[in-house]
Amino acid sequence: MYLEEVKTLLTDVLNLGPAGAALDAGSPLLGALPELDSMAVVSLIAALEDRFGIMIDDDDISASTFETLGSLADFVAQKSAQ
Amino acid sequence: MTLAPAENFFLPGAHGRRYCLYHPARGAARAALLYVAPFGEEMNRTRRAAALQARALADAGCAVLQMDLYGCGDSDGEFGAARWDIWLQDLALAHAWLAERSGCAVGLWGVRLGALLALDYVRSHESAAALPVARLVLWQPVLRGATYLNQLLRVRLAADMLAGAEGGDSRRLRDALRTDTQEIGGYALAPQLADAIEALDAAGLGVPAAPVHWFEVTAAADRPPAPPAVQLAAAWRAAGAAVHLQAVHDQPCWATPEIAECAPLRAATTAALAEAVHD
Repeated sequence: MYLEEVKTLLTDVLNLGPAGAALDAGSPLLGALPELDSMAVVSLIAALEDRFGIMIDDDDISASTFETLGSLADFVAQKSAQ
Repeated sequence: MTLAPAENFFLPGAHGRRYCLYHPARGAARAALLYVAPFGEEMNRTRRAAALQARALADAGCAVLQMDLYGCGDSDGEFGAARWDIWLQDLALAHAWLAERSGCAVGLWGVRLGALLALDYVRSHESAAALPVARLVLWQPVLRGATYLNQLLRVRLAADMLAGAEGGDSRRLRDALRTDTQEIGGYALAPQLADAIEALDAAGLGVPAAPVHWFEVTAAADRPPAPPAVQLAAAWRAAGAAVHLQAVHDQPCWATPEIAECAPLRAATTAALAEAVHD
């Protein structure tokens, strides 16, 4: 459930268009999406906080969170459960 | 009558010259707007949308002046030497020039942190001798400087992460920024400028006396503006201000990695100005 919502949000924020729809849980994000620069990461974090009503800490801005679409969706699921 | 090309020139200001781009109105100017750009990389990303908007406004009879503030764009000074107070002086300089050149009462069109700068300018410029401000046009204004500064710090943390570094901490970065200039997203942010940004809160800047045309970009068609915008607009209205808050489904051109032209936002802004000038 989180996977699809996170994918939609990521597609919107990074303006990925049809390429966004092709992403799945295993798709790498960091280093794989040129659109994901430092400002985009911060925009994405703000959008995730808004959409899911979660608080994202500095510590969460790490490679393990943003490694793949699946890792990002898992992270959001975990934060939402807190 | 064709639209005259934009004129570029330098104005002498404090500590050097300011690069200016003036878009004369088609025919006699019926309004004038001074553009107040967003901060740092957001300014670069907004450049295209702002140029198109300035041209559309000029075409609709509204003269527009775009000035690169001290330390920004093609103006003199290093970004690291930029200070909030110098920027306020720059706005006063541009305001006076535009009022004289256009023959119209000047409004301010501020984007993101530029909107907060415009609001602070209006407040600090309230003396009876000051030139009047005809209206405020705001694009997704930054409302709390402290929140914005934290986002800037996070841009640095995100850049560190993308570069393979681990374990950033915005509090530690904020502490370092109290005494030393820090590089944020390619810009040297000085402690004095960071402190000035952090201290600003739009809700504490008083109620604008001039009409406010406030545009918030939303990611979906029928989504309302964010709650903080709705709340502040309501508070201003309750205090007697004329505030038009409008949500526009568009891309946030100041944030998108690809250059966004923001046609829907431009159409909404131009229409609002055309209507206001007709009243």
